[in-house]
Amino acid sequence: MSLENMTVLICDDSLLARKKMVTFIRSLGVGTVVEAGDGEASVNMYKNHLPDVTFMDIVMPKVNGVDALKQILKINPDAKVIMASSVGTQENLKEAITAGAYDFLQKPLEENQVKSIIEKLAK
Amino acid sequence: MFTQFFGNYLLNKRLVSPEQLSEALSVLKTTRVKLGVLAINAGYMTAEQVERVHAEQQKVDKRIGEIAVDMGFMTGDQVEKLFSQQSGTHLILGQALVDKGYMTNSRFEEALNSYKNENSLSDSDFKDNDNEKIQQVIRSFYDFDDSDDELMVEYIDLLFKNIVRFIGDDFMPMNCEKITEYSFANAGVQHINGEFSCTSSIDAEDAAYIEFGSRYAGEQLTAVDEMADACAGEFLNLHNGLFAVNVSNDTGRELRLEPQQVLRGETLTGMVDTYKIPLIFPFGTITFIIGNY
Repeated sequence: MSLENMTVLICDDSLLARKKMVTFIRSLGVGTVVEAGDGEASVNMYKNHLPDVTFMDIVMPKVNGVDALKQILKINPDAKVIMASSVGTQENLKEAITAGAYDFLQKPLEENQVKSIIEKLAK
Repeated sequence: MFTQFFGNYLLNKRLVSPEQLSEALSVLKTTRVKLGVLAINAGYMTAEQVERVHAEQQKVDKRIGEIAVDMGFMTGDQVEKLFSQQSGTHLILGQALVDKGYMTNSRFEEALNSYKNENSLSDSDFKDNDNEKIQQVIRSFYDFDDSDDELMVEYIDLLFKNIVRFIGDDFMPMNCEKITEYSFANAGVQHINGEFSCTSSIDAEDAAYIEFGSRYAGEQLTAVDEMADACAGEFLNLHNGLFAVNVSNDTGRELRLEPQQVLRGETLTGMVDTYKIPLIFPFGTITFIIGNY
């Protein structure tokens, strides 16, 4: 899959965090970047766009990121969801990975890590 | 971090007024530390010797370093060493206070030496940011009297480090105050639950709130809007998240964060074990409210 044909979903309740991620991922050449501001909207956006990669914050209103991940995996068991959170405790990490997260990134996000994941999944 | 507390120390000792400190902070970026202050800090010259060198400079057309060498107060190597060093913010602050006439060189010398002695600080401590010593200084400034005071010290220590990392090092923490009610202007708020539960918030008047957000976002914001709220909330979330990771790694205690909220123009009462910690930046005051509310 080329980056141009790729769709990435950014789920974060912070407007700033979404803006930074959207700008960076677009700069990599990704064709479609969509965003959601809470866990419930994340699941709806996933259903509507079936993105190739999803970056998911954990602490979010309505539905938290781990529960949103579980709902997304029910829609598509092969969904590639990367949890991105400032709370990278062992328990959160374990919970996310057990629930089926593809990877876990500790905030503040490093652009190189995001780039590597996108490029790996574009292959 | 010792640099930031130096301003607080000057205030507590009533060597400067809050207005004078605030004015000095606003000119930090344009203040250049002169040889006299550097020499006093290094212990190469006393304030009295610096005054004599300054007096001599009125009479002869020579650089201040040359005069200090001629008068036998310093060696050429010492002068060179001073000029090659990077000045800490505490020295820039001292210079700004001296330049504005709020302190004399000898008052500055006394204050700096007593600050170093009282906190057992050496010059290298100002650069090294040794964790244990920082926490010792935080303890000497803040008297948290609840059972989780060690975690509070760690929380404040990490908070100041994150402010230096994400906002800037040009701030001075003021004394903390235990409060039971508080009127929020604009605030990002987040609850932490678990074995250490507390609520923390970042509050500021419009202009300082916008500038804090601008620094965090790395772009100029112009209004108190969703982006400014996102910046305050995101900083808090990042800090609290990193704190939760540290607590989990160090003690195995798991903390959970709730989504950030915004408080605007609201007064909360019935606060318990809650501390108000104002930080003065050149652009205004940012107040952290940490406790149970």
